This record gives sequence, structure tokens and C-alpha cells, in this order.
Amino acid sequence: MAKALRIKFQPPLAITLLILGFFVFLPMLSAFEYSIRTPLTGGYGWTHYIWAVTEEDFLHYILRSMWLAGVTVLITLFVLVPTMTWLHLSNSKVRGLIDGLSLLPLVIPVVAFAVGAQISFPEFVQNTVLELPFLYFVLALPYAYRSLDIGLNSIPLKTITEAARSAGANWLRTITSVIIPVIRGSVMATIALTFALSLGEYTLTVLLHWDTFPTWVTYVAQDNILGAIAISMMSLIIPFLILTVITLFVPERTIQGRK
Amino acid sequence: MTSQVIEGGAPSRGRAFLTSFMKNILPAAPLLLIVGFFFLFPITRLIYVSFLSNDNTFTIDNFKTAIQEPYRTGFINSIKIGVFSAAIAAFPGALAAYFIETRGSSKLRRTIAVMSGVLANTGGVPLAFMFYAALGIQGYLTKALKYLGWDLYSGTFSLGSFVGLLIVYLYFQLPLMVIVFSPAIVSLRREWSEAARNLGASQFNYWIRIGIPLLFPSFIASFLLLFASGFSAYATANALTVGNLPLTPLQIGGLLDGNVSAAQLNLGKALGVVMIVISACAVIPYLAIQRRSAKWQKR
Amino acid sequence: MSSKSLSLKNISKRFGNVNALDNFNLEVGVGELVALLGPSGCGKTTALRVVAGLEHQDAGTVLVADKNISDVPAHKRNMGMVFQAYSLFPNLTVEENVAFGLQMRKVSKHLRLKKAHELLDLVGLDSQSKRFTHQLSGGQQQRVALARALAFEPEILLLDEPLSALDAQVRVNLREEIRRLQISLGTTTLFVTHDQEEAMAISDRVGVMNNGVLEQIDTPDALYNKPASSFVASFVGTMNRIPAHISNGMVEIFGSKVVALKRGNESGKVHALIRPESISVVATTTQGNAKVLTRSFMGASSNIICQTADGTIVQSLMTSASTGDLLPGSSVQLRILSSEVLVANV
Ligand SMILES: Nc1ncnc2c1ncn2[C@@H]1O[C@H](COP(=O)(O)OP(=O)(O)OP(=O)(O)O)[C@@H](O)[C@H]1O
Ligand SMILES: [Mg+2]
Repeated sequence: MAKALRIKFQPPLAITLLILGFFVFLPMLSAFEYSIRTPLTGGYGWTHYIWAVTEEDFLHYILRSMWLAGVTVLITLFVLVPTMTWLHLSNSKVRGLIDGLSLLPLVIPVVAFAVGAQISFPEFVQNTVLELPFLYFVLALPYAYRSLDIGLNSIPLKTITEAARSAGANWLRTITSVIIPVIRGSVMATIALTFALSLGEYTLTVLLHWDTFPTWVTYVAQDNILGAIAISMMSLIIPFLILTVITLFVPERTIQGRK
Repeated sequence: MTSQVIEGGAPSRGRAFLTSFMKNILPAAPLLLIVGFFFLFPITRLIYVSFLSNDNTFTIDNFKTAIQEPYRTGFINSIKIGVFSAAIAAFPGALAAYFIETRGSSKLRRTIAVMSGVLANTGGVPLAFMFYAALGIQGYLTKALKYLGWDLYSGTFSLGSFVGLLIVYLYFQLPLMVIVFSPAIVSLRREWSEAARNLGASQFNYWIRIGIPLLFPSFIASFLLLFASGFSAYATANALTVGNLPLTPLQIGGLLDGNVSAAQLNLGKALGVVMIVISACAVIPYLAIQRRSAKWQKR
Repeated sequence: MSSKSLSLKNISKRFGNVNALDNFNLEVGVGELVALLGPSGCGKTTALRVVAGLEHQDAGTVLVADKNISDVPAHKRNMGMVFQAYSLFPNLTVEENVAFGLQMRKVSKHLRLKKAHELLDLVGLDSQSKRFTHQLSGGQQQRVALARALAFEPEILLLDEPLSALDAQVRVNLREEIRRLQISLGTTTLFVTHDQEEAMAISDRVGVMNNGVLEQIDTPDALYNKPASSFVASFVGTMNRIPAHISNGMVEIFGSKVVALKRGNESGKVHALIRPESISVVATTTQGNAKVLTRSFMGASSNIICQTADGTIVQSLMTSASTGDLLPGSSVQLRILSSEVLVANV
């Protein structure tokens, strides 16, 4: 405790944080103030939050958004992580190709991607909401790829793998019980990132005519503004809490690479 | 049998191809399939369809229409908002990243990393609400400014105007700058500033000769990425404007929803392709610069 | 040259509750090369950084040619420093790196490039002058760093483990090169290392540090043969610690009595400190006083490890020619070759 307090006071840092804090929190707190107004009594209360969470659709949409985000994370874990581990180990010729592919979604504006998606997939794909996790996965790919890349580059992957293999572990076990635990920092960061992006994705979802938690807010806003503001506040706070919880498990150094 | 192949003999061509395929490509197949089907395929098809007329013959008419009014203004506005929002956010964002990375405790840096991640992804209706509450006609900041003698709404200002949108965009552009520029700051080694001081350089000389030249490529790269983000933002513009400000993403969205009817069915696709081309002009240099500076960022 | 003497007086520096330097004193004469040697974390780097002005001492003074420079900022101290690694500016070419110090001193472009080439020539890298630093090997990079630190003719040269990131072969070559340059330029030099062979090989004097204190500073020869403390004795070179008993200023080792060199009030049970080369091993047919455990051949000399009857492990270094019959397990007679030994309390 005493140690934390002894950190030198840094005027430039303090000013930076003050300005940023002002810019970030002023709109947020203003909206928050609106969301706790009770027009009937003229005072404050949690009326709109209570209204929102007791609304049948609330649970429906938040659960839907959560499990869609969950599926996106699963795709990341079961496809991206093993593939990248293999790429780093094997020096395969496709590594360069996948390197480039993984960055390509940055080039494509989401609106354009949505148009492409709308006219391309066969009906059985367009009819299931399960198309969304795959599309979210693509949107998150540039960031997820980079964050895993940092993790895999920071460990002596070959040595670890050879040790595990010679101790009798097969490939699957090597990846699940040796490599993932070693790079769990960047895996966690990747999960956090993918999860947050999926949970908040609006453009693609709405243009493909799906309803999730973020699009539901827009719908509610049509006849209950204050309720919609309350939901908006929650849509900011929920990912923030989830991210904080996830990153709490991340060892210090892996978030921004190595210092 | 199997040993024969391994021992070398002379495996047939087909077999050699098969083993090489199994070894070099098969493990990557799931990822390649997903990216191929859910990403490359729709983009290719988008490009293909953008060259089709209403009766499915080849044409470039869609593109001709796409660069005429009102779409022309849409592109100009979108490029302008991309450039301005990136230009305004880039320097303060870089400075903030610098102070946070060099002066902040590790706890602070982690907190900021998480917060920037969330904030850079805000947009749409929630973001619109926040700014209505702060800078709308009845907003707190509006009232405070009025009290200080500056009436924001005396002129043509509104949150749905170009300037209004610009301010709102900063809300996600600034955190995005912090995110993409921080790695460059982290990669500035302490040895460089110490060596410079030791060799007789003042703080100023260090920045002029070493610090800024090293950060500059990353700064430009970050600027380009911010441009792409502002240029293609859809949700926030959709929530704030009411058709008063033509922007390409909104025009595409309108065509896609069928809210706007166009004589050419595939016009939206052509607009999308032009957006991709413009965005690529910014992102591809970004990627190239990142790759180049990775050389000295490696440790 | 413009070389000056350096002296640190009663320097103390704390980091939180770590005493990195504790009343530290050191004198380096004009043109002298002094190495600071010590275990990791003992404060070597801190001492160097205080001299360079990159760290400010909590107490004490730094004098250059008897002038107190404690309050001179780092960039106004005329000192060249070579860091452990990665200190070259990646956006500048090799020659621009080397000329940087002169550029900061407002020397004209023509003159500073001339000087840069002179120094690059001295470290054998003139042909690489237009390259960028990431195109050089680790050893070449450190050569450039050395040239850069010397180009502006510093009053004092500071080296912080400049060789520790390099391969063994390159290290040996480069350390000789550093010494050759240092002698020819006559630059007063403080050299930090934790490799004692390196320190011994190229220094005029070596200072051994422990826990922020200078335990002893002396010529390599004196340090090896007359260590001032038990810490120095065991840190520098290999030292056998053989249990013995003092009586009348003598200790008995392997059956012969030798003079005990006392440094304090050592008495009763002590350890005799004996270098491997001061012990001879001779094969016997009778019951000897030890058994051979291993023998490792190292070219001209061989390393014999024996165990005495009471279990003490003893290491001996002998010319290989005389060790042919010392097979593992054979009985041997150990003898001490010197007539005096250092002793330390148990
Ligand atoms: N900036 C700092 N903040 C906190 N503690 C420090 C700092 N610099 C050094 N120390 C501490 O001071 C002590 C001396 O450090 P120093 O770097 O001088 O050791 P050293 O002898 O150079 O070790 P090595 O051989 O490992 O380089 C160590 O315990 C170290 O942890
Ligand atoms: Mg050190």
C-alpha cells in the first residue's frame, strides 16, 4: 500500500489522464444521469434499469449475444490457436499466406463486407444465426492473430514441444496441456478481445437483419428513450466488467508485449 | 508397406503430392476453409456482382453511377471525416500513449489497455445517447458552455452535422490511437535515450534526431488506420444523422435495406468495392510500415 | 589526450530498500583501466551510471580531475559509455552513429565524418560505415558502440558488460581490441563485468564489489595471490577450503606444517584457503591420504578432483604430463606446495 502511494507524482501524466478522463467520462456520466431520472417523481431511481432487466427481451437478447460471442471464442480457441501453433512449429509454406490473409479484414470496411455476405451465402447458412460467430471471427482475426503471434514468439516453442513430445504427449495433448498454459496470457487477451468485439458488433449484425443485444437497443429507443439509455449504459458496462475479469487472469507482461 | 515409402524407394508423384499436402497444408485447412468461405468468397462475389447489370451481363455502369452525385458527395464527406477525425485524434492520442506508457505504473497501463479496448469499440446508439446527454441541445456541456457565454446551437451546429459527427468520432478514434500507437512507444529503448544523453544530446536533440524519426513511421501508420476506421464507420453515423449528411456507409446501408431504391440493383456492391479500394489505399501502407519497423522493434 | 582521473567519494545510492551503493569509494588514475567485478546485483552498473550522470547519487561526490561534477547533467559530462547491447540508434547509419557525439558538439560535418572513419578504421569496420545497425552482427555492433563512445575523445570511457551478449570467441578477440585501443588512446576507463577472466586479462587494476561496497581493489596478480577477504578469495579464481587447526600461527595441512596468513583474529578451527595449483597429487602404492574422484584433461594442464579421508573435496591443477597414472579410484598422496596459506574462520 505504502509502496503504491510512493510512486512519484507525474504532472504530464496527471494532465493527460485528466483531459482524457474528462472527454471519456463526461458524456458517459451525463447519459448515466439521464438513465436514472424518474420523470414521474422528478427524482432519481433505478426505474429504467429495473424496467429493462424485467423486460422479457432483455434476457433473451443478452443471452443470445453472450452465446454468439461464446461460439466466436470457441472458434478462436479450437481453430486459430492450434493452427497458429502448428504454423510456428512447422515453418510451413502456407504461413506467409495465412499471415497476409489474417490482416486482410482490416482492409475491408464492415459495410462492404456485409453487402458481400448478404449476396453470397447459401440459404441454409443465411437462415441460421450461427453464421454470425464465423463472421465475427473474421472481423476479430487481425487483432486475435497479432496478439497470439506475440505470445507464440515470446516462448521457446520448439524446445517446449520437443520436451512434451519426448515425454510421450501426443500433438493434441501437447497443444492443450503444454502450449496453451504457457501462452495463456496472450490467449486470455485474445479471448477478451474476440469476446468484446462479438458482444458489441452492430453494423454487420443489423445489415444482415439479425437481432442481438446491440441492435435491440436501437429498437427500444423508438418508444422508450430513457429505458434505451439505461440499456446503453449496461451495454458499455457489461463488456467492461467481463474484460476486466478476464484480464485479471492475464500475467502482467503479456498485454502490451514485452518491456 | 509404409516403411517402403519412408525409406525412400521412389514414391509415385501423386503420393508425394499427397504427403506434402498432408504435411504442409492439411493442418491449416480448417482455418483456410473458414477464412475462404466466410471472407474471401463474399468479397470475391461482391467484386464480381458489382460488375453485373440488372440482367446479369457485364457492365461498368454501376461504377459510373457510384462516382456521380449523390454518391460522389458521400465519398468526399466520408474521406473528409476519415481524414479530419484521424488528424485530430492522432497527435493527442500519441501524446497520451507516450505519457501513459512511459510514466504510468503497470496497473495503470493495464487498466487503460482494457478501457481503450472497450471505448474503441463503442458506437451506434449508445454513443449517440452519451453525446446527446452531454452536447445535445439540453446537454450538460452545452448548458455549461452557454453559461460561460458560448451558445453552441446559435449557428448551424448539431450532433448530426459534419462537425458534430467529427466530435463524436473522436470518442472512439482517440482510444484507437492509444491502442495502435502504444507498441511503438514501448519499442523505444531506454538505452537509446541514455546513449544519446551520454553522447551529449539534450532532451530536445534526442527527440529531433532519434525519438521522433523512430516514432514517425508508426505515427503515420496509426494515422492511416484511424483514417480507415473513421472512413468506414457506420453505426454512429447511422444513429446521429437523419439523412442530412451523405456518407458512403449510410448510402450503402440504405441500398441494402431497400429503403432507398436505385435503378441499378448492384449499385450498392459497386459502392462497397470503391470503399474497399479507398480503404486499401490507407491500410496497405499501414501494414507495410508496420512490417518494416518491426525490424528494429524486435528484441 | 584529454584523459582525466576519476574519483568517487562516499557514494551512496538506494533504490527503495535496496542499498545499491553503500559508502562507495573508488579512484581511477589517468589512462588507467579499472574493472569492477562482482556478483549480479552488487551495484556495478549503478556505480557506472552514477559516474555517467544517468543516475544521481543520494550522497557523496564524483570528481573528475579533482573537480566535483555531481551536479553536471549527463549530456554535459564528457564521458563515453558502451552499453551491454542494443544501444545503437537504428535510424542512423554506422558512420552517423559514430559521428553523433561530435555532431552534438557542433563539429562540422566534414570533420566529424573524418573522425568517424578514423575510429571505424581502428575497430576494423570502415567498410561497413554506410550500413544500418540491424545489418551488423552482435560483435560488430559492439565495435561500433565502442567507436561511437570514443569518437568525441571523452575524458573517461565507461563500459557496462559490453561483451556479455557475445560468443566466447568474439569476446576474447574484442576484449583484446578494447585494451589495445584503450592503451593507444590513453583513455581513463572503468569497465564493468562479471566475468573475472575478462577483468583479469585486460585491467590495470580490478575492484571486487559485494553488496554495494568495494571489498578490494588491486592488480590482478595481487588480487589472486593476496585476497583481502574471504569473499574476494572465493570470488576470484578457484579456491579450496580445507578444514585445519591453527596453533602458534601454523596450520597443518596434508601432514605438513605451513605458516598461516591471518588477516584478523582467526583461531582454533579454520579453513585453509589453497589454490588448486598449490596442491600436488602423487599416486601411491601405500595407503595415501585421498582418493581420485575424477580427472579432466584440459590440454597442457589437467584438473584432478580428490576426496580426503574425512570427506573434503580437493581440487588440484597440474601439468598433464604428471597425471598419467591418476586414475579415478586410485589412492593418492596430496601435498601442499606453498609455505604459507590464507586462513578464514569457519
Ligand atoms: N532503477 C532501479 N530501480 C530499483 N532497483 C534498482 C534499479 N537499478 C538497480 N536496482 C537494484 O540495485 C541493485 C544493484 O543493481 P545493479 O544494476 O547496479 O547491479 P549489477 O552489479 O550491475 O548487477 P548485474 O551483474 O546483474 O548487471 C540491485 O539489487 C538492483 O535490483
Ligand atoms: Mg549490471
